Amino acid sequence: MLQNKLTFNQSSVRLEIIGLPDYANNENKNQISIISQWKLMIIDTPLIEGNIDHLTSIMGAFYSYSNFLINNDNAFYESKFIDIIAENYFTHKVLLKSSKPDIKPLKINIGNAVLSDIINCFDQLNASIKVRKVNSVILDNPPKKGLLKFINKDKTFIYLLPPLISLCSLILISSTLIYFYNLSEDKEKKALINSKNTLHSIKSIDTIL
Amino acid sequence: MLLLTLETIDLNGAQSLLNLSNNLNLNKVLPTKVIIWKFRNNNPMRKSYINNKITIEAFDALIKLAVEMSKTLYPYIREILQSRDDIDKNPYPWNDFKNRFIELIYERFNINRMRVKKLIDTNGNDEIILKNLLALALCCSDEGYQKLRSSLLNF
Repeated sequence: MLQNKLTFNQSSVRLEIIGLPDYANNENKNQISIISQWKLMIIDTPLIEGNIDHLTSIMGAFYSYSNFLINNDNAFYESKFIDIIAENYFTHKVLLKSSKPDIKPLKINIGNAVLSDIINCFDQLNASIKVRKVNSVILDNPPKKGLLKFINKDKTFIYLLPPLISLCSLILISSTLIYFYNLSEDKEKKALINSKNTLHSIKSIDTIL
Repeated sequence: MLLLTLETIDLNGAQSLLNLSNNLNLNKVLPTKVIIWKFRNNNPMRKSYINNKITIEAFDALIKLAVEMSKTLYPYIREILQSRDDIDKNPYPWNDFKNRFIELIYERFNINRMRVKKLIDTNGNDEIILKNLLALALCCSDEGYQKLRSSLLNF
């Protein structure tokens, strides 16, 4: 059976997807839903190819790695099939591990331009309506909704201001009262009065007697 | 900084941003150049820094503008990145970009600030410039808006 082939190009990178439509779902004959093979061609590097599992893994690796770069984190990705490490700000080391035995891992050094081309090709593949979406992680870090509130400062202040004022006034008043009303001193005074009273009573008893 | 990076590439950046805003139907949030400029002045590194209390709608609109503009300017961004990768073979695009970026920083930013001093330090600013360019290059797709937004909100 003749297979369909789709290519996605971006400057120095070409991604080829080969596969068949899912006839069971009455799909168009130009569609690719069952990916049997893919090829990633990067200028000046050996051909990279594999099956759908490899493609999912490689796409996930590149997307995760690029998200680390965008987030200014230490860019590093490690998995069963692929490792990507940033050597410096200009070079990224890619280590592709073959699933076949006795085949040495393939080491490739790519620059920022090639890296962005690869991501661009994967983005084209994801955006294409002719190919079934490959399951890969595009966003590692979902937006923290908590931070959204703080951007709209007006609303935050409206909500926070009344309890803040009440808390401050409470602290202020209670601290002033503490200054005027010293509990330990008061206890001492009471004790002295009591002792005086007792003394007085003893004296009075003495006088009486 | 990302918008400034784009403006370094596109000499008529302010007008391009306004045209894009019209094309993306963001007129309600960003109707004129002055409004865009006012929102951009929320950057404390700028000479004309004013705290305008940026709304979430304006924040989203500015991200959309950055992503759309980086899509249009991708070939230039790529050329600059390639030039930095092969600095010995073809240093001109990178050097031109860097010089214009520094010129814009002198023109618009408060150079007495320590962070701005790092930006204009020709020996140490490669990393910052590269990070900005790479972020734009990696976000110029349909999912670019989501990527950039989540990255900015995670700061």
